[in-house]
Amino acid sequence: MKKTNLFFTICAILFSALLNHAHSQEVPSQEWNQFRGANRSGSADNVDLTSFTDKEPKLVWKKKLGDAFSELTIAGGNIYTMTSERKDSITGDEFIAAFDEKTGDEIWRTRVDNMFFDTFGDGPRSTPAIGEKNVYSLSSYGKLSANSKEDGKTLWQVDFMKEYGSKVPRWGFSSSPVIVGNNIIVEVGGTDSRAFMAFDKSTGKEVWQKGEGIATYNSPVHGKINDKECIIFANGRKVYSLTTAGDTLWTYNSPISNPTGMPIVFDGNKIFISAVRNPGFIVLEVNNNKAKEISRGTSMKNDYSSSIYYNGYVYGFHVAALQCISVKTGEKKWTKRGYGKGSLIRIGDQLLVLSDKGKLIQVKATPDAYTELGNIQAIDGKSWTAPSFANGKIYLRNLTEMACYELK
Amino acid sequence: MKLKKLQVFFLFFLFLTPGILVAQTAEEIIAKHIEAHGGAEKWDKVEALKITGRFTAFSLEKNFTSYKTKCGAYYSDLFLGEKHVFEGFNGKCGWTIDPWQEIEYARNINSSETNVFKQKAEFFTPFLNYKKKGHQVEYIGKENVDGDEMYVLKLTREDGKSEKWYLNTKTYFEYKCEAPWVDFAQPVPAEMYFDDFREVDGIIVPFFIERTFWQRDRITQIESVELNPKIDKSLFAMPKRKEISKLAFMEGDWDVKLEFMGRRGTYQERGSTESCIKFASTNLLQEQISYENGFPNKLSINFTYDAGTQKYRIAAFNDFASTFDMFQGELKDNVLVMEDTQVSYSDKANPTRMCRQFTYTQIDNNQFTVENKVSTDEGKTWKPQARLTYTRKTENTLSKK
Repeated sequence: MKKTNLFFTICAILFSALLNHAHSQEVPSQEWNQFRGANRSGSADNVDLTSFTDKEPKLVWKKKLGDAFSELTIAGGNIYTMTSERKDSITGDEFIAAFDEKTGDEIWRTRVDNMFFDTFGDGPRSTPAIGEKNVYSLSSYGKLSANSKEDGKTLWQVDFMKEYGSKVPRWGFSSSPVIVGNNIIVEVGGTDSRAFMAFDKSTGKEVWQKGEGIATYNSPVHGKINDKECIIFANGRKVYSLTTAGDTLWTYNSPISNPTGMPIVFDGNKIFISAVRNPGFIVLEVNNNKAKEISRGTSMKNDYSSSIYYNGYVYGFHVAALQCISVKTGEKKWTKRGYGKGSLIRIGDQLLVLSDKGKLIQVKATPDAYTELGNIQAIDGKSWTAPSFANGKIYLRNLTEMACYELK
Repeated sequence: MKLKKLQVFFLFFLFLTPGILVAQTAEEIIAKHIEAHGGAEKWDKVEALKITGRFTAFSLEKNFTSYKTKCGAYYSDLFLGEKHVFEGFNGKCGWTIDPWQEIEYARNINSSETNVFKQKAEFFTPFLNYKKKGHQVEYIGKENVDGDEMYVLKLTREDGKSEKWYLNTKTYFEYKCEAPWVDFAQPVPAEMYFDDFREVDGIIVPFFIERTFWQRDRITQIESVELNPKIDKSLFAMPKRKEISKLAFMEGDWDVKLEFMGRRGTYQERGSTESCIKFASTNLLQEQISYENGFPNKLSINFTYDAGTQKYRIAAFNDFASTFDMFQGELKDNVLVMEDTQVSYSDKANPTRMCRQFTYTQIDNNQFTVENKVSTDEGKTWKPQARLTYTRKTENTLSKK
């Protein structure tokens, strides 16, 4: 081999190695394609965020949106969410809508139901789930819809009140559907053992039905317990674990009544469930398809905001105090007041906390002490919707508008 | 014998000692707590406070203004979410206008609310002159709260309701309080947290107060505290409903000239009497009047406004006849016409019944006239019966009485 050839060969190998190295450093594309993110835990891993004080989040856009509390779901360069718009003081429409992730501009909106009016805030509470081609949403008056992601065209719609005798809860149907294989699984709250149902995502046809209970505000968890895939419903005072085919694995009569926050599955076989009334929280351990309460405490009472589990600790809003507790002992590690009834997500080893008045606070996810890394007044007004995170950007909404901030 | 006496004395002393120590400890803690707030001497000069700032309820932050006086009166103008709420308390009785309860006018508060208004009326800490206020305090011990050591004091108010106060052992400032509260007029336990202590003209007050009860969260962020502002005391009084306020011309003490219709069809004077008319409640004006027309008549007349029919109503009790009658009507162009044509006590129509009408005319601040008429044709025609001319009593006539 000539010296020149050898030189080029070495250069090529080095260049190739450099390219591969650069590629391995690239963060994979992240999506927030359903309620509480990709795994419904309110968390995204493999992201290192810079401190807000080192690099202040940059506003990319802010847009008027219409009334709703639905989370913003993000996939394929688009944002999908629910919203509503008044016609007059007593009538209006509820929509599923798509927006450009880069600009916040509306791409399409499709009416799914009548508008839900409420003194504490109008509009839908449920968050849509994004599939490959379609987006699936549940309206405030119990209409499950499939709409084309491309143009918003309604492909099918099922009316829970009409078809299954469901009754509209005080705050409207609020459970967020989950996509499992070819099915959409959701709390229906219907009569005749139709508390939870699965629908074929292509046709909307019933696949299975299970359970007794009215429509509440809890969303199904899809995960693995003891390596078995399952769906967890916390409805009223009962916890159900079902196979994806709708068979009952186990049920548990819970002292926690009507939790709104998402149950958290951790350590492979444990479930943390919290609600605002006593006892506050319980931890269930599941072995051989039997659930047993292994601890309970009053140190974490989640109202409508879901907690985060991270490395043995739960971070969440204990009514209106941001708090960290040991999931084993319930011991309170730290408390921070002043954020009202906010919400939070975890990005890497940091918590991104949104106060109920739109302040975004970056906090270390550590039990050692409350450690704030910075904050910005990101959005104004009543902000009860948890943030969403995708591709280095955080997406926020208050009751009437949404905003996008570049974090990296 | 001497030994026995000594033993008894020793035992008695032992029995008393812990109580004395506990009392001293509570007193000491409170003294240091008041000192931390600026000292009793400075607080003694405070007769009233005007507090303004931002109040957050249901995650909506709005302006608020409160007034508090040394005698325990309290007034606040605030927003609970989107709804405008007013509260007043004179130290004993209170009222609220709370549209959340779908009552648009002032209503009296219940006993649980009264306890809450007493808490709201405090100059921040209830330990200031607590003995004079009739509070009792008991020292419970020390407790760690959110990583800091606290003195725990139990405070019991005159009404028997008690609160648990947590004072920081280093700063002697209040950190937390557990007290009975109300939510939609129903009693609930609440927790309060205090922070951001600042000096205002020598006194120290918390500029951040957070209160949680059930799933509710209320945040008070004070922006300014004014010491000894001028206060219009009428603020603390229960406001009248807007419509009944239009009858305020009647309020007061009156000399009343009595005239009755004679056989010749003209009014004849039959002496005079007195009338006293007072607001008894937010929507109730009461008149007491007695006169003689052959027989002694003593009338208790109650004026109210009915929002449903948008009409005034009179419920009159005649002591002589022991009868109760109702009238309904409107105030138009400074003339109030009340009649019973729309009131029937019988299932069957009675074409011969006698209807009555009272017309209030010539209304001004110091005089008005009431004319009583009757009708036997369901109000198509009216015949005058009596005329009462009210003249406001002067300082002189009042003192004579």
